[in-house]
Amino acid sequence: MRKSVLNLCLVSVFTVQILMAYSFANFEPQVSYKCLIQMTNYTGEKAYVVVSLIDPDGKYVKTLYVQGDDKEWFPDLRSWWKFSDGINENIDAITGATIGNGQRNIVSLSFDTSQIDSGHKVRFESAVENQEYYKIDAEIELNSATIKEKVEGKGYIRYIRMVPN
Amino acid sequence: MIVSIWRYSHLFLAISSSLFLLIASITGVILAVEPIANKVQPYNVSGADSLSLAEVLNPINAVYDEVLLVSRDRNGFVSVTVIIDGKNESFYIDPYTGERLGDLIQKAPVFQFATNLHRSLFLKSFGRFFVGLTSLLLFFIAVSGIVLIAKRQGGYSKFFSPVVRENFSQYHHVVYARIVLLPVLVLALTGVYLSLLRFDVIPQQQVSHEVDFDRLREEPLKNYKDFELLKNTSLSELRELEYPFSEFVEDYYIVRLKNKEVLLNQYTGEVLGQQKYPFVTMASAWANVLHTGEGSILWSTVLGLGSLSIPFLMVTGFIIYFKRPKTRIKNRFSKNECDHVILVGTEGGTTLQYAQEFHRQVVKMGKKSYLGLMNDYGLFKKMDECVVITATYGQGEAPASATRFMELVEKHPQSRPFSFSVIGFGSTAYPNFCQYAYDVQEKLKNLSNAQVFEEVFTVNNQSFQAFLDWTNRWAKSHGMTLHLKKPKATLHKNHASDFVVVGRLDLEKEDTFLLTLKNISGTKTVSGDLLSLTTEKDGIERLYSIGNLGNDILAISVKKHPHGICSNWLGQLDNDEILSARVVKNRHFHLPKGSKEAVLIATGTGIGPFLGMISSNTAKRKLRLYWGGRTPESFCLYQSHINKAISKKQLEHFIPAYSRSQPNKVYVQHLIKRDGNKIAEVLRKGGCVMICGSINMQGEVMNELKNICSTYLNKDLSYYQNRGQIKMDCY
Repeated sequence: MRKSVLNLCLVSVFTVQILMAYSFANFEPQVSYKCLIQMTNYTGEKAYVVVSLIDPDGKYVKTLYVQGDDKEWFPDLRSWWKFSDGINENIDAITGATIGNGQRNIVSLSFDTSQIDSGHKVRFESAVENQEYYKIDAEIELNSATIKEKVEGKGYIRYIRMVPN
Repeated sequence: MIVSIWRYSHLFLAISSSLFLLIASITGVILAVEPIANKVQPYNVSGADSLSLAEVLNPINAVYDEVLLVSRDRNGFVSVTVIIDGKNESFYIDPYTGERLGDLIQKAPVFQFATNLHRSLFLKSFGRFFVGLTSLLLFFIAVSGIVLIAKRQGGYSKFFSPVVRENFSQYHHVVYARIVLLPVLVLALTGVYLSLLRFDVIPQQQVSHEVDFDRLREEPLKNYKDFELLKNTSLSELRELEYPFSEFVEDYYIVRLKNKEVLLNQYTGEVLGQQKYPFVTMASAWANVLHTGEGSILWSTVLGLGSLSIPFLMVTGFIIYFKRPKTRIKNRFSKNECDHVILVGTEGGTTLQYAQEFHRQVVKMGKKSYLGLMNDYGLFKKMDECVVITATYGQGEAPASATRFMELVEKHPQSRPFSFSVIGFGSTAYPNFCQYAYDVQEKLKNLSNAQVFEEVFTVNNQSFQAFLDWTNRWAKSHGMTLHLKKPKATLHKNHASDFVVVGRLDLEKEDTFLLTLKNISGTKTVSGDLLSLTTEKDGIERLYSIGNLGNDILAISVKKHPHGICSNWLGQLDNDEILSARVVKNRHFHLPKGSKEAVLIATGTGIGPFLGMISSNTAKRKLRLYWGGRTPESFCLYQSHINKAISKKQLEHFIPAYSRSQPNKVYVQHLIKRDGNKIAEVLRKGGCVMICGSINMQGEVMNELKNICSTYLNKDLSYYQNRGQIKMDCY
């Protein structure tokens, strides 16, 4: 009788530990940043901009945000599409409307705390129908000391600003 | 000439843009549904538009920690973009409570597909260009269409007057084109504008503010609820309100209203910059709304119907083009060796068929005859005799093949004297009957070496019989006999039906009789339709007006002509004999269903169709019948019908005129004149006047009607003709 109670206790402790381990894996502390994308006064169609997380080796980790609602044009963002389409990433929940020249868009980006100050970057690549494609229009280091600084874009993006949420 | 330039441009533009136009209009119809489907979504909170911006922001700020954007779309739906748990979310809210109402409307795949096809045909920039071009062509099509309608109607002031009906396609093409003119023009123009905007032909200007960042202050601190702009601007003015990106004073509120953009210091509410939107931006917004119908169910519906009409107009337009017989004229002799010259003014080609038949028979008689269009008028070196056979376009204009005739007559004086005759084709149902033929007659009369052979002869409703009368007379005076055959295209397609003779009444003295027939094939017949009889003996068609007495009993009233093959043959028919004939629909001589009153005017056998109309009448519709005969005895054929109708109140008044029973002759027109005020009253109330009988009587009665209209109604008779209130069937 005592033995069985002990067994039961052990089982429940293990169960709780396993559950906790799982929940920690799922709920690793996250930080979110507000990110402002300001476009230049270029001429042409609305721009497609995709925001991705890049690891210290320069490889894509995941897509953070897609500014563009028509999948027809995604392949134009060649480098990112190769990655995202390659891993069959589900990006439905993180897509928003395109914006035109001179406009701005504010989005919220979330990162795991481990990705901050560890050499990760946030990349903004952009394309406009029948115009040049920018593999790196702007890129921001996930460095808590410098992240609030305005970063100028090279293509359709005038600048990017990020602040902790 | 001028009509044909416009007509060919209209056709050429339509053909060259047809494929793209068809795609754009069909997708356009689909896209017209989208704004309607959006507008009916339940996200509109009534009364909210009068809230001030501050009142709207208050609940939003209370409910959500981090707000990025508040916007109001053209449907009046208010949405916010907020950050919840680190994620961007956008949804509609109730502006009173900030409470979430539902997700943003996603563009349905079918609309996405239709939009892409509509804008770019899936050909990206290339396709965009073609759609823009198609829009421009549509505009030109509409403009050339306006000119064509104006020409057809006889001027821009008559643009909306009733259309002369030739056939289904022609009639509905014109009628519907007029109705949808406005939305089609708007769609075409805004379409062109939006394309020009796309291709940066119209430069888009951004508003840019110059903010003096050195002067930004955080004091005096004010609550946003006390910011003047937010307090005094109502939600209905709002397009978008962007919250400051961060708490730095350099970040500010951006408030986009319908006509301007304002920057507000987030701490003090000071206006940092204010710019009105440039004209192009405002115009573009309008073009967008007008082109898409966004935000308005009514306008979307109008645009949708306009778009839907385009395929219809294309189809009917092409039918008109293909139905218009091509003018193929072959001449055995050159124009300079012919002494007979036949010139044709035709619009649809029917007139040409008659002229061709005439020409063929004249050539058969060994004469040198030349057939040409009136626009081919030139020097005819050997011409002795000129026959002009012409229709009239619209309200008295020259038909397509005669547009330059008048100037050509001036330009090419003939070297030899010649005589001429003019035959006009037209319909008495419309004003300016054969007007152009009379104009031509006047023109030729004034030439010094031209001699009138005879006055203008008119042919009503392409009556082959009338045309035969003229050709026979003409041939006789030229010592010929012609055997014209009826052109095939005008033969009626409906089948022959059998009729059995059930009764006949004769008036030997006047050679007239009333035949009652029973329709045994069940062909539907309405009083006013025509019975077409062709005897084997000569193959020529004769038409008799039918009166439907009910129960498939038809009455025809016939006068025997001394040498009339058909009337004499009919005159011999006995009871129970069967005759085979076709019923020809004669819609323009039916008693209008909705009319409350009508005046029926007939002489002699012209009473036939009226007997039917009266017998199917009820007391609700007041009918007056004027009938002209020689003596009271002439009336006995119809007496029983009329007496019965009066006792059953189917006929209100019967007013006879007898021309031979008293010393001073009384004709129907005299009685019409006497009762002018009563007839005017009927016309004024929208009732109609129907005339059936001889052409002579028609002319006299029309003269009286003309006087009545100007005396009692202050209007021209043509006004009532155009409204279909004057109906005639005369021979």
